[in-house]
Amino acid sequence: MDLDLDTALRILDVGPDARVDPDELVRAAMRWHFGPETGTPFWLRRAATLGFDPVADVRTWADLRLFPNVTDELRDVAVADLIPLGFGPHPDVVSVIESGGTTGAPKRIPLLRPFADLFSHREAGVLTAAGLGPGTHWLAMLPAGPHGAFEQVKRAASAHSRGSLVFGIDLDPRWVKKLAGAGQGVDAYVDHLLDQAAFVLLQQPVSAMRITPPVLARLTERDDLLEAVQQKIRYLVWGGASMDPEARHYYRTELLPDAVLSCRYGTTMALGAGGAERPGLDDDAPCALDPSVSPYVTLSVVDAQTGEPVPYGERGRLVVHHVSKSFLLPNNAERDTATRLEPLPGHVGDAIADVAPLAEFGGVAVVEGVY
Amino acid sequence: MTTDALVQVDALGPAGAYRARYREPVTDVTGRTVAEVGLVPDPYVARAMAALRKGTTAPLEQRRAMLRTAAGLFGSATLLGLGPDDYQHLVSRVAGLGITAVRASTEKIVARCASAWEDAQAARPAGAVTGWRDPEARDGAALWSRRGDVFGVHAAGNHPSVHAAWIQALALGYRVAVRPSRKEPFTPARLVAALREAGFGADAVVLLPTDHAVSATMLRLADLSMVYGGDAVIQRYGADPTVLPQGPGRTKILLAADADWRDHADLVDLVADSAARSGGAGCTNVTGVLVEGGADEARAFATALADRLATLPVTHPEDDDAVLPVHPVAAARALETQLRSVAADAEPVGATADSIVAELGDGSAALRPAVHLLASAAAPQLGAELPFPCVWVAPWSRAGDGVAPLRGTLVLTALTNDDALIDALAEERTIRNVYVGARPTWWADPRVPHDDYLAGFLMESRGIVSTA
Repeated sequence: MDLDLDTALRILDVGPDARVDPDELVRAAMRWHFGPETGTPFWLRRAATLGFDPVADVRTWADLRLFPNVTDELRDVAVADLIPLGFGPHPDVVSVIESGGTTGAPKRIPLLRPFADLFSHREAGVLTAAGLGPGTHWLAMLPAGPHGAFEQVKRAASAHSRGSLVFGIDLDPRWVKKLAGAGQGVDAYVDHLLDQAAFVLLQQPVSAMRITPPVLARLTERDDLLEAVQQKIRYLVWGGASMDPEARHYYRTELLPDAVLSCRYGTTMALGAGGAERPGLDDDAPCALDPSVSPYVTLSVVDAQTGEPVPYGERGRLVVHHVSKSFLLPNNAERDTATRLEPLPGHVGDAIADVAPLAEFGGVAVVEGVY
Repeated sequence: MTTDALVQVDALGPAGAYRARYREPVTDVTGRTVAEVGLVPDPYVARAMAALRKGTTAPLEQRRAMLRTAAGLFGSATLLGLGPDDYQHLVSRVAGLGITAVRASTEKIVARCASAWEDAQAARPAGAVTGWRDPEARDGAALWSRRGDVFGVHAAGNHPSVHAAWIQALALGYRVAVRPSRKEPFTPARLVAALREAGFGADAVVLLPTDHAVSATMLRLADLSMVYGGDAVIQRYGADPTVLPQGPGRTKILLAADADWRDHADLVDLVADSAARSGGAGCTNVTGVLVEGGADEARAFATALADRLATLPVTHPEDDDAVLPVHPVAAARALETQLRSVAADAEPVGATADSIVAELGDGSAALRPAVHLLASAAAPQLGAELPFPCVWVAPWSRAGDGVAPLRGTLVLTALTNDDALIDALAEERTIRNVYVGARPTWWADPRVPHDDYLAGFLMESRGIVSTA
């Protein structure tokens, strides 16, 4: 029995904290993205070659596996064709965001207001749960420009505490990868980033920061910057690259004992969403990440050959589903591997840990760089 | 070892020992884990290097006294829970190096540590003084000065003696970071512990066990470094003016016709000793031997050499008469496979033509010497350095080959009395050390540089006039 549009919209439009049944969400999203009057042009076109009827055949979250991985097609699709017709002629497009271009030509997708707000609200909840008070100001050393990270962080800070100041230092991941791929050191570029961060760290009242592990490691080489971080920063979010567990332990116990370190995993192809570190983990536990925008963005760890889930505790290919009113991208096999962990009760899909890049992706060597 | 507990090697950093949680096993020649080394993360290295950067250098006389004390401690004290005998036994079992060579290495490190300052003076230019108070500075002189403050050592594990070299940097006032080999971290750990106990501060010398990626951070944060490694390392750092690469030696011996080796049996002994001393894994062990007098002469010499090398005992490394290197059987077989691949069309000579692997029955195997005959001195195998006694013998002719096959050699022992030939060899800059006469290639002396003086890399001359 197909959903009528009103029912689908009721499910897709619930508030950001409402409990949503993942299977109901999937059915509503199929009705929306594949409905002739509301659908997404890219998917309406693509439906003809799927070999199944998404509205009739995709009934549950588990059925999302029926979809092929179309991520590569997003390198050259017209971005307008990724906006559901149901949003009308004047959709509220927050931005066009692009992947880092780590593995070839960049992929481009539109970020629409409903998901941007949902994601910001959820991240704000993570920050509140971590005990961040109002008036928290941030230093964020993250990609801006065509990438979504910095703008999303800004929205989340504002959603958490209106009036938060977010000081940005732009990190251009494509330039970094170009340098690294050419065998040139990225040292001078990281120095350039840190030179800029120094002004903020030393002069502005920041108490939280977002940074990638390679840049953090380089920051600790500078006495004045390290001292400023030790004195000022109480909450440090890292992501964008892997962190050696030994380094994490050293930061937590020796270098930054007064700061809470918290990991985020986000992928452009899920509009920046992914997972947030489970609070309260001790050093011996794997750094577990729970999906922070579940059930809209969910994570699975599978055997790269068979597509079947790997056993809990084992490493496999990370697959991300994005299913929201704003966007649909199921079965996106990421450039990363992760350890599969049991999800928290009430979550669909997996929790993950130890995200690390694949050595090769689509036949192209992956250069992790500093982001 | 009297206890079953594993030996633990930790970083020795700015706040003392640091126990990294990740413990990498260190195995002996049977593959059994006998120790663990904790690998520190990138930010730990960053902080240790920052501590060295801010560190202070003790005055010269104090440094010299501390080095003498450290030498004594290294030779005889119990450090990190190991007495000298325990330490030597462990190195022998882990590196597969004969215990006699390990003991000799201890003596060498003790000697070089005690006189590191004096040894370094060999590199001081004749016009340079060591301090502005020197009376010679009144009329103007060169002031022998450090080119930096922090020195990094990316060490090798093939032989403990490599750690005799960098002590000069401490003597000259550098603060030093040592990244030990993960296969044999005991020697630098013992040496750094001795130096610390002798009074060198935690901001003067640190031990930083890391993986390769993190060791790059140490090199980047040091003013100057020395890096041991194979051709890949040399290629990576060869163009970096702050790095002194220590690579393969491609050491050679030239037997000219007038050496008359058939009438001097001790020359065969000399070549065999040059090949096998300390297990043959060093850069100063001979790799290529050139014999003047045609193919038959080369074959005769190769056969005599193989016969002589075949007398080396196949035994456990901790036995007093052990010379041959010992490895886990699988590693020994892998080296044999590598040898066969490198040897290609070269003709194996003597008793080890079929196999160089001699299993010892406990999971380990000794690598017996390999001798191959090459068709010509231009064969590429002549410089193929493998980590066991492995000699490539080729015919050589003064007119046809000349100096060309001798280029790119760390040590050349030349057995000849021909002044014109010696002139040509001495003129060839890519032969780093020329030993004329019956001198084994591994022979070393503080006055004789090893691919130039280390102190030549560490120091420079500035102008000084001090009329005060």
